[in-house]
Amino acid sequence: MTTDDGKNGNPQNRLPVRLDAEVVENRHEGGGNRRLVVEVAEWPDFRPGQFVMVSPGPRADVERWDPLLPRPMAIYRLRRDGGSTQLEILYKVSGRGTGLLAQAVSGQRVRLVGPLGCPFPAIEAGSGLRRILVGGGTGIASLFDLAARALEVASDPTGVQVLLGARSAEDLLGADDFETLGVTLSFATEDGSRGHRGFVTELLEQCLDADPDSMVYACGPTPMMERCAGISSERGVTCMVSLENHMACGFGVCLGCAAPVGSEGYALVCQEGPVFDAATVRWGEMP
Amino acid sequence: MKPSEVDTRVELGGLSLRNPVLAASGTFGYGQEFLPFFDLGRIGGFVAKSLTLEPRVGNPPPRIAEVSSGMLNAISLENVGVENFLREKLPALPEEVTVIASVFGRAPDEYAEGVRRLSESDRVAAIEVNASCPHVKSGGIEFGQDPTLLTELVRAAREATSLPLLVKLSPNVTDIAGMARICEAGGADAVSLINAVQALDVDVESRRPVLKNVLGGLSGPAIQPIALRMVWQVYQAVRIPICGIGGISTAQDAVKFLLCGATAIQVGTANYLNPMATEEISQGISAYAARQGVARIADLVGALRLEDA
Repeated sequence: MTTDDGKNGNPQNRLPVRLDAEVVENRHEGGGNRRLVVEVAEWPDFRPGQFVMVSPGPRADVERWDPLLPRPMAIYRLRRDGGSTQLEILYKVSGRGTGLLAQAVSGQRVRLVGPLGCPFPAIEAGSGLRRILVGGGTGIASLFDLAARALEVASDPTGVQVLLGARSAEDLLGADDFETLGVTLSFATEDGSRGHRGFVTELLEQCLDADPDSMVYACGPTPMMERCAGISSERGVTCMVSLENHMACGFGVCLGCAAPVGSEGYALVCQEGPVFDAATVRWGEMP
Repeated sequence: MKPSEVDTRVELGGLSLRNPVLAASGTFGYGQEFLPFFDLGRIGGFVAKSLTLEPRVGNPPPRIAEVSSGMLNAISLENVGVENFLREKLPALPEEVTVIASVFGRAPDEYAEGVRRLSESDRVAAIEVNASCPHVKSGGIEFGQDPTLLTELVRAAREATSLPLLVKLSPNVTDIAGMARICEAGGADAVSLINAVQALDVDVESRRPVLKNVLGGLSGPAIQPIALRMVWQVYQAVRIPICGIGGISTAQDAVKFLLCGATAIQVGTANYLNPMATEEISQGISAYAARQGVARIADLVGALRLEDA
């Protein structure tokens, strides 16, 4: 097992490891969503916003090459309990890769590479800023651990406002976990089956109009994040986004996940991101 | 015989390798990205991302797409440039790592200048010329697709270095053996093949190509039988050693290339899905040789049996 010996190419990253982890649970959660829980030995600490590449099975054992590539997925939560360390991932079945992962049963192994990417900026106590987390669809999974850590340093629960949106109530990923956490929580669904009927970005506008002394963290579909970026910048509020992209490796070598970030050129979502200041993203050029 | 008793050393056109497993250019970054995963001194070495004289920005996204048992990419020439590589990337690697520098250019003199600069470093063990770059004056045809252009390119690179010179061939040709003969005649020490196969995929809902660049290079297990065929054909045609490339993901895949005539192999796309693939393949080849009672991995080269024994 690789250990943290400081040789990582990107000093902002925690050292990634590759390991084959045993599936503890892989259950349906409503909508097309599933919760994967795997037992990981010696998993390094990670920071909110980092992700992991997931393959359904150690490939060399099964010679299953279709689909070929692992899928980038947010680390939802890491639970250490005595000698056991469990990593949780919430994902949506949306194609062949996630379809195959959905078939993994307990006892089977999945291959993980991670933790990867640059996390959200650390949330320090005493800044006085309210933290507003905006999650849409599967993007919600990137925000749970951030919410938990923000709550740890907040003076009271109103300091961490979580706004979650989805098509319908059953698509709201991890809603029960967020409720258990005790953050200030609001929902928006397009069909009105839970919370505000409409888009979660409408809740963000209301929140910021009530109290602009905030910082916004958004993860979800690109149009949602672009809207969050606009709403925030109009009010002089900093907005951090966690971008999604196709990627083959997750650690900066395939160069496939380039996104239009900065004044020119591209940034690698896997290595320079996935978290970016929304003001640096050239939204009009996003594919 | 135990796997640890197998002699894994091979000679690739004057380049001595501790074992025949290299990582392919463009799939291993500048090496440092893999330092967290395993000791790079345990594989034969790696071919760094192709370098141009000046740093370059790559293509607009989407740049990659998954297809059946493979992937398409259109990254283009994105790289840090020769000088940054020499100044920042090479010194970051441990001494025991064997580094092969890959060079890209739009004209033979551009290639030659890159080859010359990289050859001045004592950390560069060999040069691989990437012949899949479009030639600016010939309307985008690849150097490796035209016998005249390839002849010029090999001559220019050969004059620019005394290091072992590998030429990486494009598979997008009618006569791969003829292209390899040109490299041999021009003084190349070895040929590497194959590069990605030119390909296209389409999204039927939007009726658009999946890649912004329209065309991309197909790599991964899907191209392996094509690569084996080409290695086998080149093995019949030239005396210089071959570095086999194309969808190698397991030790078994690697052994197939050795049997078809490759002296060494390069692992490409598999590095993306399994950052420890090269090390595992190295160990797997030794295990295979031990099981087969083969004392030297070099004895497997070209050992394909064509008739009933």
